[in-house]
Amino acid sequence: MKRLIPIYFLLFCATGTTMGQGLLDDTQIRGFVHFDSYYDYENKKASFGVGEQDLFITSTVSDKVSFLGESVFKYSGVFQASIERIVIKYNVKGNHNLLFGKHHTPVNYWNDTYHHGRVLFPTIDRPKFFEAALFPIHTVGASIQGQNLGELNFGYDFMIGNGLSAGDNAVDDNRLKSVTAAIHVKPKYGMRIGLSAYYDHISVPFSNLTKHGPVIVSALDTITYDVHQLVYTASFAYFGSNYELLSEGTLSRNSSEFDQGAISTSFYVYFGYRIKDCKWVPYTRFDYINFDEDDNYYTINDVTGIVFGTRYEHNYRTAIKFEYQFADYQTTGVSNVLKTQIAIGF
Amino acid sequence: MKNSIRWIFPFMVLFLMTGAMPREEAIVADEQLRVITNGGDKVMTFKSLKKIMRGEKQRWSDGKKVTIALLKTNTGVGELTAKKVYGMSPGQLNKYWLGLVFQGRAEAPHFFISEELLILYVNSTPGAIGIISTDPDSSDNLATVDGKKVF
Repeated sequence: MKRLIPIYFLLFCATGTTMGQGLLDDTQIRGFVHFDSYYDYENKKASFGVGEQDLFITSTVSDKVSFLGESVFKYSGVFQASIERIVIKYNVKGNHNLLFGKHHTPVNYWNDTYHHGRVLFPTIDRPKFFEAALFPIHTVGASIQGQNLGELNFGYDFMIGNGLSAGDNAVDDNRLKSVTAAIHVKPKYGMRIGLSAYYDHISVPFSNLTKHGPVIVSALDTITYDVHQLVYTASFAYFGSNYELLSEGTLSRNSSEFDQGAISTSFYVYFGYRIKDCKWVPYTRFDYINFDEDDNYYTINDVTGIVFGTRYEHNYRTAIKFEYQFADYQTTGVSNVLKTQIAIGF
Repeated sequence: MKNSIRWIFPFMVLFLMTGAMPREEAIVADEQLRVITNGGDKVMTFKSLKKIMRGEKQRWSDGKKVTIALLKTNTGVGELTAKKVYGMSPGQLNKYWLGLVFQGRAEAPHFFISEELLILYVNSTPGAIGIISTDPDSSDNLATVDGKKVF
């Protein structure tokens, strides 16, 4: 902790020297909303759904300091509000920044790039591995970030945080910090290749585990011992003027003092084709998740899924998507859904 | 499974048919562009200009913060800037910035409805860079791109 004091002191001094320059009015409020309708062939039922409303605020506080806040309001049984991000950014030098707050854990492309921005999503829903909680969505902590360095536009993120079992609490539930290390290169415009590793010591009780999506890890009910989680990811993204290709893979290892460790894997591949002189982008995505049967932490539910759809980009703030979604779940069986979505950015 | 395959076909047809819908034609003014900066680098290559305008460079070599000023993409010059500098349509440019700002990886550019307002902003903001088409009254802030004042 003593080692961190000079950093906080420097931050304090730097903000002091640049305050009062009339930049506080440089604040923007933007947001995303979406509306879904779908037909479930298994239940032979059509439904409408109000999506979440995402509000994000960006503010230039001073020459060196900026702020980004993001809150989501949604209906999930009851209306809920959540703070998704609070990030205070301090520019150290050039393209190197220190970030403090609640972040999207920079473990993969989708989480870092789209998250709640449905109008930016290439498909209606997130890939299946989000549902399975295979990686940490958020981290409360501090990070150092560099981007667009050198000819290859190299970027890095190194983050320490409270970890999954602390949830959003200000006080960590154990002495060990979660650690995220991610690197990427952007060798040409529209292309990004990334790798990341995440380590966390998840300690009992698991009542604070960050819940995100419909699936809650089975550990909540069954595990009475600490889990060491190690997650590796790799991603390739290319969004060119015609072709769009996005693929990400995750390898997750959970271990404890009582077992040798279990490895679960997942990946998805998205391909879209932007037809020349057209606002339509037909696309497809394949999802695959394979859990290790010996994994006591995750809810074991292997999934194979595919979507076919088309996206109509009315303008940069409005996207309408039509999709057929097929998924075969190990525990709940087959799911067949026709879905449409109107997503707005404002 | 057979049941589900039956439903894939209508979507496959939709998938293949969507190419037939035409996109709105872009109207681009036949004008040349100039780069103005307040401080920062006055001599740059087109490649480095693109890097700066895409928000990939946060600081000038003298440490000043890079602040981007653009004409709105529904203006002729704004549309031309999108095409020439970003290699994008106006819609793609707006989406690019929406995504980048949402990621928290860059600060949004300042968009203006007229060149006069943009020039005024750049002249009064240290580290600002903007793209215009008209010859400014003073050439002090004019930068050269690949050795040329206009491109």
